[in-house]
Amino acid sequence: MLARAIEEAGVPTVAVVLIKEIAARVKPPRALWAPFPFGFALGKAGDADFQHRVIAAALRLLSEPAAPVLAEFPEDGDGPPRLLQASDVLPASGAVAADPADEITALRGYYERWAGEHDGRTAVGISGVPQRRFRGLVRYLQAYANGEDASYDAAPSDVEPGRFIRLASDDLKAFYMEARFSQKPEQRHNDLQRWFWAETAMGTLLAGVAKRLASEGDERNAQGIAR
Amino acid sequence: MPRLEDLSDAARQAQLNFPAFEHDDAPCAPFTTPLAEAKIALVTTAGLHLRGDVPFSGGDESYRVIPSSTPARDVTQSHMSIGFDRTAVMRDLNVTFPVDRMRELVERGEIGSLAPDFYSFMGAQRSPRRIEQETGPEVGRLLRDAGVDAAFLTPT
Repeated sequence: MLARAIEEAGVPTVAVVLIKEIAARVKPPRALWAPFPFGFALGKAGDADFQHRVIAAALRLLSEPAAPVLAEFPEDGDGPPRLLQASDVLPASGAVAADPADEITALRGYYERWAGEHDGRTAVGISGVPQRRFRGLVRYLQAYANGEDASYDAAPSDVEPGRFIRLASDDLKAFYMEARFSQKPEQRHNDLQRWFWAETAMGTLLAGVAKRLASEGDERNAQGIAR
Repeated sequence: MPRLEDLSDAARQAQLNFPAFEHDDAPCAPFTTPLAEAKIALVTTAGLHLRGDVPFSGGDESYRVIPSSTPARDVTQSHMSIGFDRTAVMRDLNVTFPVDRMRELVERGEIGSLAPDFYSFMGAQRSPRRIEQETGPEVGRLLRDAGVDAAFLTPT
């Protein structure tokens, strides 16, 4: 749809698409269907050769004489067909008995090593809460999940509370995942999901946060955090 | 897969029922420049933007500009959903937005150059009329006016 709009302005396009059935209906001018999971548009993280093969296959379609063109990329990428969700793996008791704030302290060194080895790149930071305030953020989320009438003074005033909780939860998840990348480099995809939801106190806390959001009718933000 | 047969029933139905603007044909702007001389732009619907730029929210039909010289550490993603594995793009931006790969193609002489600006939209749009009629065409004009020979689009 976006490809069509750009093409109509006179600029040739080629799009990687992940759902062939939708591309067949929308008809972007030139599309390469790559049978990868969402989040893996070029198939494999950290595999430049694989990514170059996808790009080359896409760019070749530019010289096709007529649109629409829907070609298939012949190789499989990484990533789980089905991403584990909190409800698949949360402990039966629903709780990991530890303090998420202490987990953050224990993971900090791993997190900093990951970021340091990757030119400072990090997915943490979308909520605007500085990392030095994560302990206070955890206390706020704990109070919220416990049904208390909690407020958080470091939340930006122009972001509604449910949205802020969502962004803050995403920051905390990103911190945990990036720490785990350097703590357990062999773990990938659903290993990481299973660890976060089944084994960390933060997983339990965020599942509780999502539950309260849902109970207050904020399904959108609740579903964005855990289901 | 996504191959639809690999998905859960609910996820498969969600994809099959996903609203889409259907068409019988497609516009076609001929690609006439040799690839080795072409100026290429990346355009993504993965909700990426510069760190510090306004995050996308669900259904947001605006776009963000990402200068093509931006280092990977300054690009972040606010399309976050438990529907996809975010750890891939956390490990390597190029799996969604192949800035380093495109620079390598320029160095190897396989493409001519990169456009000065790349563009990013939010994904998972259920009724993106404004993208279709306003912001998408606007980005098309910006690309055309920048002398872009082709745009390479990547999803989340």
